[in-house]
Amino acid sequence: MNALRLPVRRAGASTGAPLVNPWAALAMPVLVFLVVCFLVPLIVMGMRAVTDLPSDAGGDVLVNFRRFFEGEANVRVLGNTFWVAVLSTLTCLAIGYPYAYLMTVASPRWTGILLIAVLVPFWSSLLVRTYAWQVILRDTGLINSTLIGWGLIAEPLDLYQTTTAVILGMTHVLLPFMVLPLFTTMSRIDPELTKAAANLGATPARAFLRVFLPLSVPGVLSGSLLVFVLALGFYITPALLGSPKDTMLSAFIATRVQQQLDWGLASAMALVLIGVTLAVLFVASRFIRVRDVFGALESD
Amino acid sequence: MVRVGRTVAFSVVVGLVATACSTGGGGPAESPAATDGGSTADICTAPPKHEGTTLTFASFGGVYQEAQRSGWLEPYSKLTGVTFQESEESSNATIKAQVESGNVEWDVVDVGNDFGLDGNADLLEPLDYNLIKKDEIIEGFASTYRVADITYGVVLAYNTDKTAGKVPEGWADFFDLAKFPGKRGLWKYSTGGVLEFALMADGVAPGDLYPLDIDRALAKLDTIKDEIVWWNSGAESQELIGSGEVAMSMIWNGRGYSAKHTDGKPVEIQWNQQILTADYFVVPKGTPNKQIAMEFIAWATCAENNAAVSEKIPYGPTNKNAKPNPAVVPDLAVSNVNDTTAYFDDAYLIDNFDEIDGKFQAWLTQ
Repeated sequence: MNALRLPVRRAGASTGAPLVNPWAALAMPVLVFLVVCFLVPLIVMGMRAVTDLPSDAGGDVLVNFRRFFEGEANVRVLGNTFWVAVLSTLTCLAIGYPYAYLMTVASPRWTGILLIAVLVPFWSSLLVRTYAWQVILRDTGLINSTLIGWGLIAEPLDLYQTTTAVILGMTHVLLPFMVLPLFTTMSRIDPELTKAAANLGATPARAFLRVFLPLSVPGVLSGSLLVFVLALGFYITPALLGSPKDTMLSAFIATRVQQQLDWGLASAMALVLIGVTLAVLFVASRFIRVRDVFGALESD
Repeated sequence: MVRVGRTVAFSVVVGLVATACSTGGGGPAESPAATDGGSTADICTAPPKHEGTTLTFASFGGVYQEAQRSGWLEPYSKLTGVTFQESEESSNATIKAQVESGNVEWDVVDVGNDFGLDGNADLLEPLDYNLIKKDEIIEGFASTYRVADITYGVVLAYNTDKTAGKVPEGWADFFDLAKFPGKRGLWKYSTGGVLEFALMADGVAPGDLYPLDIDRALAKLDTIKDEIVWWNSGAESQELIGSGEVAMSMIWNGRGYSAKHTDGKPVEIQWNQQILTADYFVVPKGTPNKQIAMEFIAWATCAENNAAVSEKIPYGPTNKNAKPNPAVVPDLAVSNVNDTTAYFDDAYLIDNFDEIDGKFQAWLTQ
């Protein structure tokens, strides 16, 4: 998990020096919590995938996985899940990076206001926000009725139940998870460095591209990783705002769990999603390693 | 035909229910009921008392559960002393989790038509048909582990502003974009009626729907695919048809009713080719209150009590002898049954879900 290493290593540098640190005991409750609430259920789920078999399985322990991959829609939806997650990560990055940068350079008062603005969505429920997008995007919704009212368009724009609507809704929810890590990283970059670059003759654009941007990469990586992994698990937003083509795998898993009580197949589906996610992260970590150098520069 | 004795008993109970709903007031008909009921004295009018007992009742919340509360739970508490604890989050998965973990909290659960057949035998108690009057329940709506408590229709609703005064006569008109321009609302769930409606639109008789010709249904749906707006919840369907976002929608009749009467929107229901279906009472296996749960279910499905829910929501009785309030009768699915009415084959839909849903999802995500 090289992708995770950059932020983790910095945290470790301040606390990890003595071999046995008494403060480490403070991590025990978290550790116990993770084992009981995450690791154990994960193992139970893994067991379920190979033991909770349909009656006609005939001892074939992999039958649930076979059922998953034989379903034409399943594989398509798995691919779509990753595509939507990638798109929302990129959108969050495109909006979140300039926003976090603005927070870094603004006066403390404005930084506070911008911080509150990005956190406000957390105060209302996911469902309320998603339904609000429906009201805005529908043929009879706010945007279309306004544009038609002004005579700008004759027929309503196709907004509701499109991939664009899904990305809008998901970006709205996920943006704080991109902005906060970015802001944390950026606010730690010494402003004198950019000034030094300017003194040495760099244009503002060049100083940004060669000095600030590389130093902010750890924030970009951790923010993107957080948003990407969270996006993989979405299903309400795509179901309410997207077309059936935007269905995410979690929606299929939910149907199996809630309606069909087919927990064996649901577990297999979840494991496939986890497995493919880990594979993607592994590949990404290989790719990202090239840039490790920036992280190294920063911590030295 | 209703026998004379039952008619008498019935009118008595209408009185009882009315008294229970209002506050106080004399129930002048009470004593004749006791004598007339005679030997059958009677779970319907005098269920056994259990002071200090609590039953946990799980249903789907909202106006629906309010109607169940005032129609059944509160009157039953007055009669028997049984108090109710409620959950508004009924879910098949929760029943399974409770039974498998050996920690059964729910005693009586209101579930949809996709649950409670023999496939779920390991999760449910067999119902006590010595108490529950199976012969009075609509044919096919009572089986080993479940008995229907309310009936509803999956129907065609249309926005009269969008249909310009024309009335769609059935699902063929729903699929006729030339005759009725505009978008169409459908539930994004493979075994909720969408395939059956496509087949009826294509000319299949309501009695010949099963086994489903899935490919034929999907080919028919393909003809309107670009005009479909998919919904996931009853609230969404009500909003879509009320706002005119869609000209017509498949809808649960209670939601169509709310669009018209609660929201005041120009919405009408076409009862032709409705699918009549039900919610069911089940008792999770291993509940410590099994006996009292059975008594309550028997009481709530009696002719005298079963229609009480229809007072507040247009979901109809399942007991053939129940007499709902005449004011709501026109809005109930059971009152609008005719020779075009279809019924789900729940066992078929459950047994073949993998194939049906697999094909449906493959078509949807194309």
